[in-house]
Amino acid sequence: MALLKLENITKRFGGLVAVDKVSLEINEGELIGIVGPNGSGKTTLFNVISGVYTPEEGKVIFDGKDITRLPAYKRAPLGLGRTFQIPRPFSSASVRENVAIGAMFGTLADKVTVDDSLEIADRYIDLVGLEAHRDKASGDLTPVEKKLMEIARALAMRPKLLLMDEAMAGMNPKDIDDMVKFIKRIKEEEKIAIISMVEHIMRAVVGLAERVMVMNQGAKLVDAKTEEALADPRVIEVYLGQPTEQSKWRSEVWKEGKGEDE
Amino acid sequence: MKKTLPKYYPLIPVFAAYLIMFLIGFFVPGMWQMVALLAFYCALGQSWNIFMGMTGYVDFGYVTFIALGTYGMSLGITYCSQYEWLGIGIIVIGFILAMFLASLSALLEAFIALRLRGAYFAIACIGINEGLRYFIEGAKIWGGSEGLIYFGALVQALGRDTVNQLTSFWADFSVFIIAALAAFLNMHYMRSKIGYALTAVREDEDAAKVMGINANKYKTIAFLTSGWLGAGVGAMAWGLKLGYVYPGDVFVIHYTVECIVVVLLGGAGTLLGPVVGGLIYGLSKYWLAVIMPGFQLLIFAPIIIIIIVAAPEGVVGLLKRRLKGTRLEMFIE
Ligand SMILES: Nc1ncnc2c1ncn2[C@@H]1O[C@H](COP(=O)(O)OP(=O)(O)O)[C@@H](O)[C@H]1O
Ligand SMILES: [Mg+2]
Repeated sequence: MALLKLENITKRFGGLVAVDKVSLEINEGELIGIVGPNGSGKTTLFNVISGVYTPEEGKVIFDGKDITRLPAYKRAPLGLGRTFQIPRPFSSASVRENVAIGAMFGTLADKVTVDDSLEIADRYIDLVGLEAHRDKASGDLTPVEKKLMEIARALAMRPKLLLMDEAMAGMNPKDIDDMVKFIKRIKEEEKIAIISMVEHIMRAVVGLAERVMVMNQGAKLVDAKTEEALADPRVIEVYLGQPTEQSKWRSEVWKEGKGEDE
Repeated sequence: MKKTLPKYYPLIPVFAAYLIMFLIGFFVPGMWQMVALLAFYCALGQSWNIFMGMTGYVDFGYVTFIALGTYGMSLGITYCSQYEWLGIGIIVIGFILAMFLASLSALLEAFIALRLRGAYFAIACIGINEGLRYFIEGAKIWGGSEGLIYFGALVQALGRDTVNQLTSFWADFSVFIIAALAAFLNMHYMRSKIGYALTAVREDEDAAKVMGINANKYKTIAFLTSGWLGAGVGAMAWGLKLGYVYPGDVFVIHYTVECIVVVLLGGAGTLLGPVVGGLIYGLSKYWLAVIMPGFQLLIFAPIIIIIIVAAPEGVVGLLKRRLKGTRLEMFIE
């Protein structure tokens, strides 16, 4: 049975169809990438899965349960964790408190005390390598540190499925490689499924996931093995614009440098 | 390296202050009334601060809780004093009624707060307060604009000696207890999941929800707690002590403003702040009323404005910054 099953999800904002009849299945312990140009509906899809938005059409089935209309706060204890494209730390709280909040209200909510949660937090802070900043106000972290803190916070929730929104945006090539390794490692160690979404840092996608879904203008374009998907003419066209601009496409798609923050 | 916050140390200076106040009032002749007034301001500041400090909502209609608490006690005594066998139980009934009315109003305010933010919330709460007052007067319930006068009934039910003791000591003493309870609950909440949840909600409500936090539940807990404490002060310091209630006396926004001034002077969102603020405010009000009767507000208002502009974090906010990194840090919150 699939851990997460999206059936024909459609989400509109007024006249704009941000997500257009998207279906997707992901199994326990699987790692998949979602790619697509800016505005193709990736973040909106995440928001539908995590309960920030309710879709106009379609169903979200998580762990065999229809959660399409479940409030966001009831989804986290079921095992849904996420990070945000633009980091959203609880700024006045320390890194430790932020991560502890994840532990306190995630899947362990009924089992852990505040002290337990702080201990769990310490473990994940060490895991993402932020131990030097443990007691710093999270608002004072650098953007990359904030991303790491969000990952620790989401992992402390002990999710079954982790949604990572642009985990590598704004990083240099070396950091991207480290992050790719790190994501694969936590997938193995924590035994969780991960959906990692990337706008256009192809280097990251290729190394990261065996399977990728490509989105364009809200719709699912391709869902296939990574090499196949990226070689697909439709995908090439999306990133390329016009086939005659082949060279431009190469420099765009294989760009090792920065992703863009919205 | 890993530090767990010492749990309840910051309560020590708060409780010490209340204890010293109580001892001075109890043993120094002629001081009890002044000390009781100070405890009144400290208790209200502390109670209002739970609401504001933890949820970030500024409740301008807070006096509604105090007023409803007063009415709860008044109704309990007025309608139950005829049953002799209840004895002192009528005070208990009055207190329970006070809590009940405060709960209704806290739930109503929580309902509004979940829909309106900032200034709209403040105005809605002022609206509820004024609305209630005119409803009681207009619909002539609970004695209408004539209010309830039940001092005589209280004396008849419990006897003059008991009533004297109740109004001159126990009513004020319970305000001390409520002040201490408010400080304890505030500290306890801050150190428990409630405090973490509300910090997250204050910083980023949508992100907090995605982290699994039921924002409405935790806000409502803070609203209820704050409302109960305010109603407790009203029930004891006004309802029991005075023996009468008029709507025009109790639903008065002026008292909310006093709460806010107390908290801002001392330090909003801090634990010790309402105590320090209550002492500064209560003492200067008392003193100015003695040396310049009638003019106290004229002098008082600009002084308060100057202090708040000069030290926006309040006295305790300043103190906290001064003590940062020292061993005293863990006692100040
Ligand atoms: N809250 C919103 N209100 C209106 N339009 C939105 C909202 N969120 C996203 N959109 C629109 O939906 C489309 C998809 O956006 P998004 O999901 O953020 O794309 P991506 O994450 O792939 O860059 C964009 O056209 C965006 O402008
Ligand atoms: Mg996005």
